[in-house]
Amino acid sequence: MRAEHWWYTVPLRLRSIFLRSRIDRELDEEMQFHLDRLIEEAIAEGLSPQEARNAAMRAMDGLEQRKEEARDMRRTRWLTDFLDDVRYASRSLRRAPGLSFFVVATLALGIGMTSAPLSMTDALIFRPYPVPHPGNVVTLTSTSRSSSFELFSYREYLDIRDHTKSYDGVIASGDFVPFGYSVRAGEVARVRGGMLVSGNYFSVLGVRPQLGRGFRADEDQVPGRNPVVVLGPDFWKHELASDASIVGKTIRLNGVDFAVIGVAPESFPGMQIFVRPDFYVPLAMARRFSTSANQDFFEDRNDRGLIVRGRLKRGVTLQQARNELAALARDLESEHPESNRNRGAMVRTQFQMRTRADETNWKFGVIFAVLSLAVLLVACTNAAGLLLARASTRTREVAVRLALGAGRSRLIRMLLTESLLLACLGGLAGVGVGFVALRILHRFSIPTTLPVQIPFHMDARLLLASLVLSLASAIAFGLAPALQSTRGNLVEGLKAADVEPPGRKRLWGRNVLVVAQVSASLMLLTASFLMVRGFRSGLGEGMEFAKVAKDHVLMASFDPRLLQYDAARTQRFYQQVAERTRQAPGVQSAGLTQNPPLGLEDFEAMSFVPEGVPMPADRETFNSAMDTVDEGFFDAMGIPIVRGRAFRRSDGPDAPRVAIVNEHFANHFWPGADPVGRRIHLDRRVGTPVEIVGVARTVRYRDNNEKSVDFVYLPLAQRPVSRMTLLVRAAAGPLTVLEPLKDIVRALDPNLPIVDARTYLTLYRYAAVDGPGVAINLVAIMGATALLLAIAGLYGLVAYNVSRRTREIGIRMAIGASRPDVIRLVLGKGLVLVAVGTAIGLVLGFALEQLMNSMLFNAGGVDVLVYLVAVPAMFLVTMLAAYVPALRASRIEPTQALRYE
Amino acid sequence: MSKPNDLVQGTLDLLILKILALQPLHGWAISRRLKTISDHVLQVSEGSLYPALHKLEQEGWITAEWKQTENNRRAKFYSVTRLGRKQLERESASWHLLSSAITRVVRLSEA
Repeated sequence: MRAEHWWYTVPLRLRSIFLRSRIDRELDEEMQFHLDRLIEEAIAEGLSPQEARNAAMRAMDGLEQRKEEARDMRRTRWLTDFLDDVRYASRSLRRAPGLSFFVVATLALGIGMTSAPLSMTDALIFRPYPVPHPGNVVTLTSTSRSSSFELFSYREYLDIRDHTKSYDGVIASGDFVPFGYSVRAGEVARVRGGMLVSGNYFSVLGVRPQLGRGFRADEDQVPGRNPVVVLGPDFWKHELASDASIVGKTIRLNGVDFAVIGVAPESFPGMQIFVRPDFYVPLAMARRFSTSANQDFFEDRNDRGLIVRGRLKRGVTLQQARNELAALARDLESEHPESNRNRGAMVRTQFQMRTRADETNWKFGVIFAVLSLAVLLVACTNAAGLLLARASTRTREVAVRLALGAGRSRLIRMLLTESLLLACLGGLAGVGVGFVALRILHRFSIPTTLPVQIPFHMDARLLLASLVLSLASAIAFGLAPALQSTRGNLVEGLKAADVEPPGRKRLWGRNVLVVAQVSASLMLLTASFLMVRGFRSGLGEGMEFAKVAKDHVLMASFDPRLLQYDAARTQRFYQQVAERTRQAPGVQSAGLTQNPPLGLEDFEAMSFVPEGVPMPADRETFNSAMDTVDEGFFDAMGIPIVRGRAFRRSDGPDAPRVAIVNEHFANHFWPGADPVGRRIHLDRRVGTPVEIVGVARTVRYRDNNEKSVDFVYLPLAQRPVSRMTLLVRAAAGPLTVLEPLKDIVRALDPNLPIVDARTYLTLYRYAAVDGPGVAINLVAIMGATALLLAIAGLYGLVAYNVSRRTREIGIRMAIGASRPDVIRLVLGKGLVLVAVGTAIGLVLGFALEQLMNSMLFNAGGVDVLVYLVAVPAMFLVTMLAAYVPALRASRIEPTQALRYE
Repeated sequence: MSKPNDLVQGTLDLLILKILALQPLHGWAISRRLKTISDHVLQVSEGSLYPALHKLEQEGWITAEWKQTENNRRAKFYSVTRLGRKQLERESASWHLLSSAITRVVRLSEA
C-alpha cells in the first residue's frame, strides 16, 4: 500500500522539482482549455466575444489565484521556493562582492580557527575508544584516601574478573613500556613500545586481528609459559613492510623469542590518546618486562600497575556495576587488610575518566573549547554587523516586497537563505583553514623513538561539528538583520531609499554588536597573553639548571635486562660505565638517573612516614615522587645541593641508608628547621629508616608549568634499578662525548646497546619550547585572529554608520557646524561604545585570568601589558574608522551632501 | 458567483473520484458532468476544480495523461488509480454512514 503510494507520487514530486516550467506550462494549457470551452459556450448562448470572455473569467473565480492554489497542492513547494531563494540569494550576494567576500572570510577564519582547537578538545575529551560499541567500555579504578583513580594489582584483577557479573568481560593492561626488540638473537636490540595485556583483551574489546589471531585464554594462565605476541598495525606496516608471512615466525623481545600470532587491525591504534603500542604480550609474561626485580607481580597485592576495564553487559546500569564492585572491594578489604585497608573501587565511563578534575588534558580541553567558541562568537558578531548594515540599505527593497504582498515569514526565509549561503561558503572555506592549522600543529614532534602520536586530526565528527557551527552561526548572524529589516514602517521604507528611521531601537542592535566585539576580543587577548606569559614564566624559576644543561649534557639510556644481566652484574656495569666516562677527555662530570627532570617517563612514587612529624588523622603515609640516582647525578645535571651533602661512593648497599630531599620537601615537613640528620621511614611507620643527608634545590620535574612538589632522591647503590640513563656533562657541545662514550660501552660489553642517546636539548625543547609552543602558537593565533576580526568589524561598523550620516553632516555644516564639530560628533559615539566594551572586556578578562591561574599556572597577578597594548589599539582603530569617513563627509559641499543617498 | 456550500466542498474529492471511476475525463468534462448529474444543484466554481484535481493527483489517487479530444484538441485526461478506487470505497462508505445518520436525524425531527 505504502509502496504503491510512492510508486505514483515520487515521479510526480521529481517532476515538480525538475520540470517546473513544463508543469507550469501544462497547468496554463489545462486552464486555458477550460476557459476556451466556457467562452465558446457563452458565445453559443449569444453573448459577444468580449462579454463571453469576461463572463468566463468571472466564472473561473480568479484564474491566477487558482493556478497558485493548484501549485500549492504539489508537496514540493517548500523546496522549489528554497531553490528560488538560493538563486536569488546568490544573485544578490554577487551584487555586493566585497561585502560577501568579507563575511565569508570572517566566517572561514572563525570556523577554521575553531576546528583546530576543537580537534584538540575532541581528542582530549570526547573521541571514543577505537573499538565496536565503545560506549559500553568502562574503566575500573581502585580508590584510596589520597586518590580515587588508582590502578589494580594482578591479584585484584583476577578477583574482579572472576567475581563480578556486570560485565561481558574484564580486561587488564599494563603501562605502555619500552620493549627491547630484535629480529633474532645476537642482534643489537632496539627499543620499541609495547604493552602487557590480559588474554581476553582483544576478544572483550571486540578487536579482530587483521592477520592471524588474538590470544587464547590458556595463553595467559601460567606465568612465563607462552611467549606469544600480537603486533601493532603501525609496526607491522612500517617495520615489517606489511609482511603477511610474519605470523608463525618469532621475534625477540627483551631477549626472549616470542611467536607472532597476529597483527592488530589498522582501526585499532590502541586505547590511549598519545601512544600506539607496537607489541601486545600476555600478562603472564610480565616477569620479562617487570621494571622492578624486587616485587612479585603475580602475588604482591600492593604492586598496583594494571589498568582494568570492563565491557558492561546489556541492561546493566553503571550504578549496578558500581554497587557490585564496591561490595567486592569491601570483601577484599576484610580478606586482605594488609594491602586493602581503606580501599574502595569505582566504575567510570570513558568520559568520566577523561574529565577527572585534576587532569591537565581536561583543563586544556575546556580552555581550548572556550577560547575557540569566543573566536567564533567574534566572527559571528562581525558577520551579523555587516549584514545588519546591509539590511538597512535594503529597507526600500524589503518595503516594496511587503507592499506587493509578500508575507513577512516568507521574506525572513528569503533573507535567512542568504545568510545560510554565506555560512555554507564560510564553513567550506573554514574547513580548509582548519586543515592548514592542523597541518601546522602536526609539525611538532616528540623526541623519542617510542611510537608516540599527536592525536589531532580532521575526522567526520569534526567536519560535522564545523557544519553545525556554520549553520548555527548562519541563524545567529542572519536572524537579527532579517527580523529587523522586515519590521519597518512600509510607508517610510517606500518613501526614502536609505534613511535611518527615527528612534533608538534600530541603532541599539548595532551598538550591542560593537560592544560585544570589543569585549570578546579583549577577553581573548587577555587569555592568550596570559598563556604565553604563563609558559614563559615556566622558563624561570626551577629551570636554571636546564638552561645550562641543554647545551652540555648528553643522555644515554641502558637496559641490561635486554641481555639478561642479573642485579649484581647490572650494578657493576653502571658503576663502571659512570667511572670510566668521568675519566674520558672532554667530560666534566657524569651521573646516573632513572629519569632526568623534564624526562619523558613519569617518576616513581614512594610512600613514607617522616619521623617526628604528626600524621594527619586520616592517613598513614605521605607520598612523594622520587628518583634513583648515583653520586655523580647532581653535578652532571647541575642541580645544587643547598644544605648537607650529595651522595658519596661510601653510600653503598651495606652502609646506613640515606636520602636527599628537595627544598620544598624540607619546608613542607620541617618548616624553619634543618632537615639534615632527620629520618623518614619508607613504606610504613615500621619500614626501613632512611637518614636525610642533604637538601637539593627544587626544580621543575615533569614540565615547566609544574607547581613546586616534594621530591626524594635515593642512591642507586642502595636501591638497584635496571633501566638507567647516564648523563654526561661535556665541557664543549654534548655530541663531542658521544664517540668516547660508545667506545667505553663497547669495551665493557660489545653486545649491550645504548638504547637511546640524545642531548638534553631535545628534552628541554619538548618540555619548554615545542610542547608549550604548540599551545602558545594556537592561543596566540586565536588571539590575533580575534583581534583582527574585531578591528575589521569595528572599522566596518563605525565607518558605515558615519557614511550613512553624510546627509545629516551636510545639513549640520550647512547651518554652520565646523569640521572639528562634526568629527567630534561622530567620534564621540564610537568612543563611548569602545569604552563600554573595554570595561566589560576588562571584567571578563580578569575573571578568565583568575580561572586560568587557578587551573594551570601559578603566575598570578593581572597582566597590565595586555591592557596597555590592546585598549589603545581599540581606541585607535575606532578613531580611524570614524575619522576617515567623517573627514570625507565634512569635505563635501553641503549641497552635494543634501542630495547624497 | 456563489461559493459551493461547505458540505459539497468537503465531498468534492468524492464526487470527482466517482465521476472519474466511470471513465477518464478532462477537467472541462468533469465540471460539465458534475452539473448535469447533480441537476445544477451542486455548483462547483469552475476554478476550484483544478486545485482539487491537482491535490488528488499528488495523493496518487488519480493520474493524468495528455490526449486528443474528439475535437482534436489536446487536453489533460484524468483517470482513477487502484489507490484511488480504494479511496473511493472508503469515502463512499463514510458518506453513506454520514448521510444515513443525517437522514435518520432529519426524519426523527419530523416524527
